[in-house]
Amino acid sequence: MVELKNVSVTYSSGVDALNNVSLKINDGDFTFVVGSSGAGKSTMIKLLLKEIDATSGFVTVNGYNLSKLKKNKIPEFRRTLGFVFQDFRLIPSMTVYENIAFVLRVIDSPKKFIKKRVPYVIGLVGLQSKMNSYPDELSGGEKQRVAIARALVNDPQLIIADEPTGNIDPELSYEIVELLKGINDCGTTILMVTHEHDLVRHFGGRIINITDGEIVFDEIIGGINDEA
Amino acid sequence: MMKLSGVKYLIDQGTENIWKNKMMAFATFCVLLISLLLVGASVLFYINIDSIIGGISNKNEIAVFINDTASFEDIEELGNNLSVIDGVSEVTFESKEQAFQSMMKSMPEYERIFESLGSENPLVDGYRVKVYDINRVTEIIDIIRGMNNIYYIKASQEFVNILMELRRIVTLIATAIIIGLIIVSMIMISNTTKASVFSRREEIQIMKYVGATNGFIRIPFFIEGMVTGFFSGAGSFILTLVVYRAIFKILKNNISVMNVIGLGSIIPFGKIQFYVLGAYLIAGAFIGGLGSVLCTRKHINV
Repeated sequence: MVELKNVSVTYSSGVDALNNVSLKINDGDFTFVVGSSGAGKSTMIKLLLKEIDATSGFVTVNGYNLSKLKKNKIPEFRRTLGFVFQDFRLIPSMTVYENIAFVLRVIDSPKKFIKKRVPYVIGLVGLQSKMNSYPDELSGGEKQRVAIARALVNDPQLIIADEPTGNIDPELSYEIVELLKGINDCGTTILMVTHEHDLVRHFGGRIINITDGEIVFDEIIGGINDEA
Repeated sequence: MMKLSGVKYLIDQGTENIWKNKMMAFATFCVLLISLLLVGASVLFYINIDSIIGGISNKNEIAVFINDTASFEDIEELGNNLSVIDGVSEVTFESKEQAFQSMMKSMPEYERIFESLGSENPLVDGYRVKVYDINRVTEIIDIIRGMNNIYYIKASQEFVNILMELRRIVTLIATAIIIGLIIVSMIMISNTTKASVFSRREEIQIMKYVGATNGFIRIPFFIEGMVTGFFSGAGSFILTLVVYRAIFKILKNNISVMNVIGLGSIIPFGKIQFYVLGAYLIAGAFIGGLGSVLCTRKHINV
C-alpha cells in the first residue's frame, strides 16, 4: 500500500515540486500517474524510493513510514519494492541472468533458490534464449523486459515503473504494459508513471494526473479493451 | 549476519571486477605503482644516506686518558664502566707503551726526538671509545667526565657537530620530500580511484535501488582496490629490487666512491628486502582498498 498524506516537497532552490498531495494506492492496484514534465512525477517517485524526504506530510509505503525511516533501514525497505526505469539501468558487465540474480544476491538468497528463481522469471518475460546475453546485445524492448524481470525476481509487494516505455518503440510499449498488467493480475501493486496518453487510454484503470505539484485528476476510466 | 556464500560472492565479485574493468584497474595499478616507487625510493635513499652518515660517525672516537695514579684495578673498572654506557659500541684499551709505539710509527720524521726521550714515556694509559649513536656524543662525554681517574678527554666535537647537522638537514629534506610525495601520490590515487568509481556510479545506484547495504556495495570495491594495490606493491618491489641491486653493484665496484662513503655504509638489499616487500604490499593494499572505499561514499548516498 502507498499512502501520501498532505505531502509537500520544496527543494533547496525554492521550487515547490509537490504541494499538499494526498493519495492512497491499495494493494493489488494498477495505477497510472500522468503529467507533463516538471509536474512533480519524478519527485513523487523519489519520495517513494526514499531518495528524498518530504518537506511536510507523511509517506507510507508497504507499511514503512518513510518520514521516520532510519537510514540503515532503507535497504530493508527497498527490498519490498521493484523498480523499472526508462533507461533500463542494467549493469552492462553482467549477463541477463547475472543482472537478475544480482538482486537476490543482494538480499542474501540461497544459491539453490537463485538458480531456480532466476530462469523462472526470465521465462515469464519471454527471454529464455537471451539468458546469457549482455545488455548491449539486446533491443530496447528486451532490455526493459530484463528490467521488469529484475523488478519481479524478489517478489515485491509494489513495482514502481518510471516511464518504462519511454525508450522503446511504440508498438512494444503495449507489450511492456501487458506484461506489467499480467504481473498485477498475480497480486503485485503497480504504479506506472508515463506521459503517453494513448497508452493510458488504451488500458484504462486508475489515472492520477499531477500538474504543477498538485493532483488535478484521480479517477478510474475504462480502457479501449473494456469498451470493446 | 551475511552467509559464508555471500562473503565468497563479494570476494569473487571484487576480483572479477578487476578483469571486467581492466582499463581502469590498470590505470589504478600504474598510478599506485608510480606512487609507491616514488615514496619507496625516497625512503630507501634516506635510510642509505643515514647509514652513510652513521658509518662515518662510527669512525669517530672519544679518547679517554687515565690518571697516572690509577691502579690496574681502577683502569679495569673504568674500562667496564665505559663499555656499559648506552650509545657506546666499542671500548679498546691502549697502554702508554702502545700509544708511544704508534706515535713513533705515525711520525717517523721525529724519530730523533723520540730517541732523545730514552726510556721516559710522557704519555698516559687510555681508552678509545667508539660511539654508534652520534647524537649522544656530548652526553657520553659528560658521563665519562664524571668518572674517577680521568686525566683528559679528547673528542672532535666539531666533526660530531658537522655530522649531526648534516643528519638533521638530510632528515628534514627527506621528510619534506617524502611527505610531499605521499600527498602527491594520494591526490593521484584519489583521482584515479574516483574516475574508476565514477565510471561505475550507475552500478552503485542500481545496487542501492535493489536494497544493497553500503557494506555490500563497498566490499567488492574494497577487495578490488586491495588486490590492485597488492599487485602494485609487488610490482614496485620487483622494480626496486632490480634498480637497487644495479646501483649497489655500480657503487660497490667504484672504489673511490666507497672510500668516501665507507664500505658497508650502503645497505645491501638482502638485508632489508623483507621489510621493503612488506611495506610495499601493505601500503599498496591499504591505500588501494581504503581509497576505493572512500571514493564510493559520494555515490552511495542514493
